[in-house]
Amino acid sequence: MLMIYQIIGILVGLLGIVVTIIRFRDGKMSLGMLTVWSVIWILVIVISFYPESTGFFATITGIGRGLDLILILGLIGCYYLIFRIYNMIENIEEEITELVREIAIEKKDSESNSKDNPKNDPQNKRK
Amino acid sequence: MKLFVVIPAYNEDKTIKRVLEDLLPMELDLIVVDDGSLDKTYKKAHETLDKQPNHGYIYRHIINRGLGASLKTGIEAALLKNADIIVTFDADGQHHPEDIKNVIKPIIDGKADVVIGTRDFNEMPLSKKLGNQIMNLITLIFYGIHVQDSQSGLRAVSRNAAELIDIHSRDYGVSSEIIYEIKKSNLKMKEVPIKTIYTDYSLSKGTDTKVGLKILAKLIRNILK
Repeated sequence: MLMIYQIIGILVGLLGIVVTIIRFRDGKMSLGMLTVWSVIWILVIVISFYPESTGFFATITGIGRGLDLILILGLIGCYYLIFRIYNMIENIEEEITELVREIAIEKKDSESNSKDNPKNDPQNKRK
Repeated sequence: MKLFVVIPAYNEDKTIKRVLEDLLPMELDLIVVDDGSLDKTYKKAHETLDKQPNHGYIYRHIINRGLGASLKTGIEAALLKNADIIVTFDADGQHHPEDIKNVIKPIIDGKADVVIGTRDFNEMPLSKKLGNQIMNLITLIFYGIHVQDSQSGLRAVSRNAAELIDIHSRDYGVSSEIIYEIKKSNLKMKEVPIKTIYTDYSLSKGTDTKVGLKILAKLIRNILK
């Protein structure tokens, strides 16, 4: 007989896989990330089915209790993801800055060109 | 020899007009970078620069990206306009236009690639002094370089140096980063004393203790990255 937490775990895992596949199909996730997330969700399902299996790994790693191992791994995984996201944001910020700079320089250039050559100025053309 | 003065400005509509008016008679080329200001900085700078056409250019960041980003935009624009020497100049009115001559002289004489205008810390109010000393210490610890004033906004760089200096820092950390780039590229640096005009307004801007601590936090984060 499955316990409620096991059923929830399996459902969450299945939902995770579905969302992952949909995101991959829409081109919003790379093949590498598809693999990583699929493994994570499959692990969630497997561990929900056989909670005792964690006990084995817990003894090997010397942590003792299976649940502790899961929590520790979960925390490490979260920190890793935060780190990844932080770096991603930093890259995006830099790209935004680069865009803003390009726009500023290009805008200025087209402005001064139209000043030198009034024919190019769209406002003059309209008149 | 083409001399460009880059003036990064963010919400400086109280001072920008006067700063530009003081600089215009010096027959220099001015580049104002409006860093997405929310006030009338762009309009005022535009009006002032229009009085003397072909000597002033204004570039506008459509959104605020910080001091470092503005300096880089200004320097890049100056390089595109074939600048031989680029001077950076604060828009808050704290610098003396006459000091431009002092900071470019070592470059013209071939004695330096980069010149940093050094403010007199003894004249600085306490909160500023502390903030700037923290920044000097940070520059020493993280980059291994001791300078008298790492956060000065008045500096001059030769074309060659400007092409070598690669700025990544978007905010106030840029001043220390420039010093690091000078060391990395083996450029000759010279420090020249400059005068600072302290007004209530210019005091409310720039490096004080809070900004110093913020930059410190950021630098530590950068190392852990």
